[in-house]
This record gives sequence, C-alpha cells and structure tokens, in this order.
Amino acid sequence: MEFKDYYQILGVDENADLKEIKKAYRKLALKFHPDMNAEAGAEEKLKQVAEAYEVLKDDIKRAEYNDIKRYGLGANQGFEAPPGWQPSGEFASGNSSSSADFSDFFNSLFSGGKSGYKDSGQQEPDFFKGSDLDMEVPIFLEESVAGVTKTLEYLVPVFDGRHIQQIKKSIKVKIPQGIADGERMRVKGQGAPSQVIPDKKATNSGTIDDQKALDGDLFLHIHLVPHPLFDIQGINLLLTVPLFPWEAVLGTKMEVPTLNGKIILNIPPNSRSGNKLRVKGKGLKIKNSQGDLLATIKIDIPPSTTSETQKLWEQLAEVEQYNPRKDWSNES
Amino acid sequence: MTDITIHMPLNDLCRSTGISQEVIVEVVEYGIATPLTGDTFSEWVFDLESTHWIKKAIKLNQQLQIDWVATAMVIELMRKKQQLEIENNQLKVMLSRLL
Repeated sequence: MEFKDYYQILGVDENADLKEIKKAYRKLALKFHPDMNAEAGAEEKLKQVAEAYEVLKDDIKRAEYNDIKRYGLGANQGFEAPPGWQPSGEFASGNSSSSADFSDFFNSLFSGGKSGYKDSGQQEPDFFKGSDLDMEVPIFLEESVAGVTKTLEYLVPVFDGRHIQQIKKSIKVKIPQGIADGERMRVKGQGAPSQVIPDKKATNSGTIDDQKALDGDLFLHIHLVPHPLFDIQGINLLLTVPLFPWEAVLGTKMEVPTLNGKIILNIPPNSRSGNKLRVKGKGLKIKNSQGDLLATIKIDIPPSTTSETQKLWEQLAEVEQYNPRKDWSNES
Repeated sequence: MTDITIHMPLNDLCRSTGISQEVIVEVVEYGIATPLTGDTFSEWVFDLESTHWIKKAIKLNQQLQIDWVATAMVIELMRKKQQLEIENNQLKVMLSRLL
C-alpha cells in the first residue's frame, strides 16, 4: 500500500495551521472539482485532496497521522500500519464521505463507522451505506419509442474493511416505452453493496434485510443517440425534406419516412426553404401525449449542369422578375 | 430483471446522501429542488432530476465549503448552462441538416 503524504497533497508545510490548511484545500477543491475541471483525473485528484483535508483538519486524526509519518516511512515506500496500531474509528466530520471514497491507506489508519446517520437523529446501523453509482445509458430513438430491455455492465467498488476492489456486475433493466432524452431512472439496491462495520462484527445485531436496505442505488441517465434522419423537439419529430427547385415551385407528392413506416407527404406549390409542414399524430408518443411530424423544406440544387439544363436555367433567369436581394437596394 | 423507479422518497434520499431531513428541507427552502408530492416533510417524494441536483448541491456545499445561498446560485447557473448546452447541440445538428 502506498504511503500518502497529505501535507504534500495539499501543498502545505507540516507546521501549517488550520487556516492555511483550509485555504489550501479550498483552492485545490475549486481547481479539481469535476464541475469546473473536465480534465481526466481531476475527480481522482479531488478525492485525494478531500482525503488529505479530512485528516489534517481534525486535530486527533492529524496527530495520529503525524505519529505514523514519524514511524519512519518515506513517500515511496510500501506502507503497512504499525504492529498493534489501533485506528480511532471516528469519522469526525459531518460530511457524507464514506470510507469507500478514500484510499486503502486512509482506511488502514482510520477505518471506522460513519454511516451518515449521526446527523439525522436516526439510530446508527451496524453497516456502512453502499455508495450510489451513476451511469450514462445511450439508447436509439427506435428503442425509446418501443421500449427496450438492456443488459448493463459496470464496475462496483466493494470495500472489505481495508481494500477497495472493483467487481464487474451485470444486470438487465427494462427501459420503458416513451423515455425521453435526459430522463433519469433509479435501480434500487444495484449500486455498491453495504458493508458490516468492522468493529461491530462481534456484536452485530442487524439483519440481512437491514443491510440490504443500505445497498447503494444505481442511477441511469438516458441519452438519445443522434438519429441519421430525425431530430426531437419535445414530443414532435423533426425531419428535413430536401427538394429539387422545381419540386418546391410546382409542388409534388412524395414518400417520407416516419418512425412507423413511410407516408405520403403533399408538398404545396411555391414552397420555400425553411417552410414547415405538420403531419398530425406522426411524432413521438410519450405517456398520454401524441406528437406530430414537422417536415422542414430544404431546397437543393443539382451539383452540376449539362448543356441542356444550363440552357433551361438561362431561360428561367431571363423571364423571372423576382429579386431575392430587393432589401439590399436601399442599403448601399 | 431489476425494478426501476423514477421517484425518490425523502427517507431514501436522506439515506442515500447521508444527510439529515433538516438539511434537505433547507435545500428545498433555497429553491434548489421542489418535491413532486407530499403535504408533510416526511411524505415528500422527489423526481430524479431534483434528486440529482440536491445531491450535487450537497457535494458542492461540502466540497467547496460554500454557504447555501451561494450553492443555490451555482446550481441555478449550472442548470441553465446544461439547458443551453443541450439546446446548442440540438440546434447545431439541425443546422447541419439544413446546410
């Protein structure tokens, strides 16, 4: 196990007072907070900083840590707690960090009970609460429309009282029909498992049900994968319909795709680029609401011309009086 | 097959975050989240979007050691930023289809 130099992590001197320690922590917490720093590893650094602060802000823990540091282990040497070492068993702070958030080094020195119940006035249980886990779940639009059963594989941190191991877990969840982009789901009890508090092993009076109730949850965050044809706006389905210029001018009937097969769409004469056509009831069905299909006209011109089409365009240019830049005439 | 839910009762939220009911009530009072149902505190049920922001607020409050007024403001700005990022990404995709 690696020895952690908490002073070095916070960048403070060993004689630093609480004010300096707090100042260093705040600066580093801001720097590495995942909401402000998207770099890989920032969250891990924040955990190290939080762990260092957890120890150094507390007089008792800091004194115990200093004793260990003086015990004679350098930062690069393997670390084992000294023979006969008795951890304090106290998590002094009121924050929600569990020992599973901290390193093996921390847990070997300070493993003890902190369940989050101390502030709540509830009876403290005999178990550590397992941490909740978050997972991003990408799904296709078609899966959202029909509902889908997904097999999710993820790593669960399991804390054995001294070490944290990542155990692979696989579960099946049914994603309900009509789930929308950004929605969240809670899979109860499928986060990190709860653990018996080590110093309560001998007198543990809790039941298996008590322990199961403290298993963490798995939170799923649904993301719709961008569709090659459709966009979503609320419960409406958006489709861009490319037209030849003559189709837009003369009007036409054409087949367009929907999520339930093809339909015939009437394009009225003199349609302009950006015009929207609404087809009722062909959008998404979410809960009791039925959305529409909104088809947006996009006028596309052939990428090249033949001598014959060139002549036709020239004829059109000669007879057409419309000026698309008439608003510019007073500007110059 | 595992059971899924889209709600979080107050008791479960307290257990999940390790935070007392009083703190959650304070978070609600600052407008960070609104319970979906429940006439009394003990009956409160939150949707999971609110749950997400409550948990984030508690972490920010503890990790950055900022007070609840500042936390509420940060959460509001983060919500708006997230909403604008989503809208911006959607508009970019829609624009690319029209060009």
